[in-house]
Amino acid sequence: MGVAELKKVELYYHKSVQDDVAKALQYSGACQIIGDSKTEPRDGARHADTDARLAECEERQTHLRYLFRALGPYFKDPVSSIDRMFGEKPVLSMTELERTADGTDLGKLALSVKAMETELNDLRVEAAQHEIDERTLSKIADFPYTLDILGDGTRTLKGLLGTLTEGSLEALTEELKPLSRETELFAASRTSSKEKEVWCVLMYARTHEQQVLDAAARNGMVFTELPPHIRGTVAEESAKLAERRAECERREAEILESLKRTACEWMPVVQRLSDYWNIMTERYQAMEASDSTESTFRARFWVPAEVLPELEKRIGAASPDTALTASDPEEEDHPPTLLRNNAFNRPAEVLTNLYSPPVYGQRDPTSAMAPFFFLFFGMCLGDAGYAMVMASILWILFKKYRKIPAGTRNFMSLFCAGAAATFLYGAVTGSFFGDFIDAFFFMAFLRPIKEALLLVDPMKNPMAILGVSLFLGVIHLMFGLGVAAYDEIRRGNYADAAGGKISWILFVTGLILVGLGGSGILPSPLYTAGAVMAAVGTCLIFWYAGRGEKNIFLKVGLGLYALYGSTSYLGDILSYSRLLALGLGSAVIGSVINLLGKMIAGVPFVGWTLALVVIVGGHVFSIAINLLGAFVHAMRLQYVEFFSKFYSGDGATFTPFQIRTQYVDVLKN
Amino acid sequence: MELLGLALALLGAALAGGMAGVGSAIGIGIAGESAAGVMTEDPDKFAKCLMLQALPGTQGFYGFIIVFMVMVKLEMFGTPLSISWVQGLMIFAACMPVALACWISAIYQGKTSAAAIQMISKKPDAVGKALVLPAMVETYAVLSLLTSILLLMFGVQLG
Repeated sequence: MGVAELKKVELYYHKSVQDDVAKALQYSGACQIIGDSKTEPRDGARHADTDARLAECEERQTHLRYLFRALGPYFKDPVSSIDRMFGEKPVLSMTELERTADGTDLGKLALSVKAMETELNDLRVEAAQHEIDERTLSKIADFPYTLDILGDGTRTLKGLLGTLTEGSLEALTEELKPLSRETELFAASRTSSKEKEVWCVLMYARTHEQQVLDAAARNGMVFTELPPHIRGTVAEESAKLAERRAECERREAEILESLKRTACEWMPVVQRLSDYWNIMTERYQAMEASDSTESTFRARFWVPAEVLPELEKRIGAASPDTALTASDPEEEDHPPTLLRNNAFNRPAEVLTNLYSPPVYGQRDPTSAMAPFFFLFFGMCLGDAGYAMVMASILWILFKKYRKIPAGTRNFMSLFCAGAAATFLYGAVTGSFFGDFIDAFFFMAFLRPIKEALLLVDPMKNPMAILGVSLFLGVIHLMFGLGVAAYDEIRRGNYADAAGGKISWILFVTGLILVGLGGSGILPSPLYTAGAVMAAVGTCLIFWYAGRGEKNIFLKVGLGLYALYGSTSYLGDILSYSRLLALGLGSAVIGSVINLLGKMIAGVPFVGWTLALVVIVGGHVFSIAINLLGAFVHAMRLQYVEFFSKFYSGDGATFTPFQIRTQYVDVLKN
Repeated sequence: MELLGLALALLGAALAGGMAGVGSAIGIGIAGESAAGVMTEDPDKFAKCLMLQALPGTQGFYGFIIVFMVMVKLEMFGTPLSISWVQGLMIFAACMPVALACWISAIYQGKTSAAAIQMISKKPDAVGKALVLPAMVETYAVLSLLTSILLLMFGVQLG
């Protein structure tokens, strides 16, 4: 229970067996390597071969990253990412992976894909150019001569293609009149009346070139060039361009097809190899973390004490040229934290780790928190129908997937327990998809069951639930203080336990008893008991706050200041009123959906169909939003109100050196 | 003038629903901009981003809950009760905590969510902490909902 005991292991091994040792450690998945090759200086020469292998890994991974990026969009993965999350991956042995790695030339594959990509890009650029030229030609469709006049021209003649505005066309024509024997200005007929510009071809005798160009420039003619290969008539050239563009498109489709084929054939291999090279990279990085002499290496790592004997056996089996010593963590060490809890509390470890795991050797708050988390989650979601929907979805997932990874399974178990608490709370508060049972006549047969289970209806009697919420809050907070007091006593800090923790338990509980006893809710002997408790608590708080001071006034001042801290308890307790508000919220939203459904059911002919859509859609939406709220707020009550009483976190999670894969499951042979 | 009470009560309910909705829309919008920014870099964070973006959405629902409770209180699904203008003003007052606190808290929760989304873009493992920070803001929306509910149930006596 709590935090697993770790041993610090030093393993000495001969250089010749370093591969076997690293492999055995990685397969065991039980040790966290100490020392990081990135931060600690190391002796480069001794790790030269490992460096070379890491460089090889990096090169392969560069190819793999490129292939993922280039082929990914053309590949439809037969294993969906949801399936993968729930552990549906092909199972392969390491030998098979090695064989695939040896038999695949990733560099060649990447080169061939790159060639296809380059050709594809070139084709696209070419097709785009053809399209632009075609569009230009379409503007001068009625140009009567061949287009070679625009390029080189003849010995005496030359032509220029460009656009003019309507006004400047007239001006230019006017200006060129004196040169009418040496020039011709062809204006294309416009394809649509919206166009403001006119496409023109200005032809002139080379003898008057400068004069004509000046005139064109003065009138703002904008020149356009056609590629030199366009020399025939407009009709001929347009046909040729269209043909070429079609050819580009055909070739593009061919390449796309072949990319798709390549993706289909190679992506599974790429995925496998990505896992393989990740495994190898981690292995070599772990090897680099070892210290070494000429021929002896020393690896240091943390291992949970309970798996140490098995690890020794594994290493012994891997090679006899090893020596292993295990010791307890020392003062200056910072061991990571591995949580160990029983089956009931294990799912809630997720929550502890989300906050921050405890420092090694300190209390694991999981078991103290788990029951409260489930209870609060149940009260916030608070609907038996929603709980049943959750449970069914989880049941289907558990049924469908047989190899769910531990992390995902823990999360699902967390929601299973949450659903159970929600169902119970929903049953005793009579909430089943809101007021579904009361709202619809065909649910009447369930009313007796609902009535029998009903303890209190929050819609009619919210004050009772508010009382329960605040009461649970007090229990939760006092429990947190109690845990803190227990920890202080165990460490021998009796003064801290009495003055900093127990004093507050007495003070807060006492004041509440005084309040409730005084207003007649509780019998009056409890009032007296409460008054005594509060008085003792106050004395303890004053003594503890002022114990370091000699001056009596300062003592009193510090005591008063400490007592002012009680406002934070008031805030903490009131914070639990959210249990009522959120539970009531789900119930009201559920009821509103039912009401809308009932109103729509009155529409003639299609009423009940529409009502079904509204009711099902509405409740699905309501489940989603209330589930998020319930999770976040139940979590917040643990993190903010509860943990602040006794827990700081600040530990580091135990992250073992192991086979970590994304696309395949590795069979450890 | 006999409908003035009803009008005041409806005005309160409409403000609770409307202002809380406006706040949520602004808050979700702010968080959404941040989420879109993070997802251009890393589309795989969609689920986490969406969860954080949805957080300021609850205020709109709190407003809606109050609208519904006012309507139930006034029996508007049948023949509406006839109430005096003082009673109408009381209902109006009971609606104000949600109208004001939900409106403004949703906007600030949206800003906190946006920052939390930036946080998980750098540290995806810190999603637990990233969820708690915006939830701190929501506390006051929840409290205002509770205040409005209690005021409606026990503060306003009709007939």
